[in-house]
Amino acid sequence: MVFEFDNSADKLVSSLQYMLDDIAGGIPPQADAEDIMFRCKAVITELLTNAIKHAGKGSTRFNVDSDGEMLTICKTDTGMPLYLINTRNNAAADSAVENKRLISADPLSSLYANWESENHIRFSSEEGSLDDFLSVEEVAEHFGILIITNSSDEFTYTYDRNTRENIFRVTIKL
Amino acid sequence: MITIVKESPKYIIGEVTITEANLSNSDEFKAELIKLLDEHKKVLIIDLQELKYVDSAFLGALVSALKYAISMKLDIVLAGLRNDIRDLIKLIRLDKVFKIYNYAEEASFAVNKM
Repeated sequence: MVFEFDNSADKLVSSLQYMLDDIAGGIPPQADAEDIMFRCKAVITELLTNAIKHAGKGSTRFNVDSDGEMLTICKTDTGMPLYLINTRNNAAADSAVENKRLISADPLSSLYANWESENHIRFSSEEGSLDDFLSVEEVAEHFGILIITNSSDEFTYTYDRNTRENIFRVTIKL
Repeated sequence: MITIVKESPKYIIGEVTITEANLSNSDEFKAELIKLLDEHKKVLIIDLQELKYVDSAFLGALVSALKYAISMKLDIVLAGLRNDIRDLIKLIRLDKVFKIYNYAEEASFAVNKM
C-alpha cells in the first residue's frame, strides 16, 4: 500500500486508521494480531507526528508492505534531515564504539543511534536501572523515537543525499 | 478539555473530555493540568476513559505536568485508561512514575490512604 499524507494534524487520526485497516486485513491467522496492531498503531502514530513536526510543506509518503513474515512500514519525506545524520564522528568511523552513541538517557530508558554507514542509522534501546532513581525530574519528556524503537523489531533512518529524502523504515515480525 | 467531577479535601477528579490527544492539543492539555494544580492544590486524579488516541507529545505533556505536581508536593494519578494506551505507557516505562488505576473511584480510595 502507498499512502500520501499531507502533513496536516487534523488528518492524523483518519490517516492512521486508514493504514491500520489495511494492515489488519493482511495479518496471517497464526500471528498475534492484537500485539501487531498495537505496535503498528504506536509506530504509525509517531511517524505521522514526526511528519507534521518535521516534514514541512508538501506530503509524506508511506509504504506499507508485507511478505507474510515481516511487515515493513516506510516513511519518506524531503524535509530537513534528522539532526543526528551530520553528527557522526567520521574520524572514528571504523570503531564500533564510536558508531554506537547514546542519544538520550534517563532512569527509565537509554536510546542509542548506531551508524551502519555515513547516511544510515539503526536505533536501539535499553531499559535503565531504577536503582538510582531519585526524582521524576530526571525523566525525559520526548518519547517519539523511543516508542518506535521499542515497538519494532528494527528501526532505521537513511538520508539519501542525492534525492534529499529522509527514509524511516520500521520492520515488525508477523 | 478537563471537567472536574468530584472534589474532596485530598483530591480532585477530572474527566478528560477529548477523544484524541496529540501534538495539536498537548500544550493546551498541559496548561489545564497546571491550572488545576495551581487553583486546587490537591492531588489530581485524571479519568482518561474517553481517550482513544494519544501520541508522544501528549505523554510528554503528562510527564511535564507531573514534574510540576511533584514540585508542589502533589501528584497526578491516572485512571480509566484503555488497554492500548496503558500498554503504550508501559512500553516506555512511564508506569514506573505514574500511579495508574482501573477506575477513578479506585484511585480516590488509594489517594485517601496516602
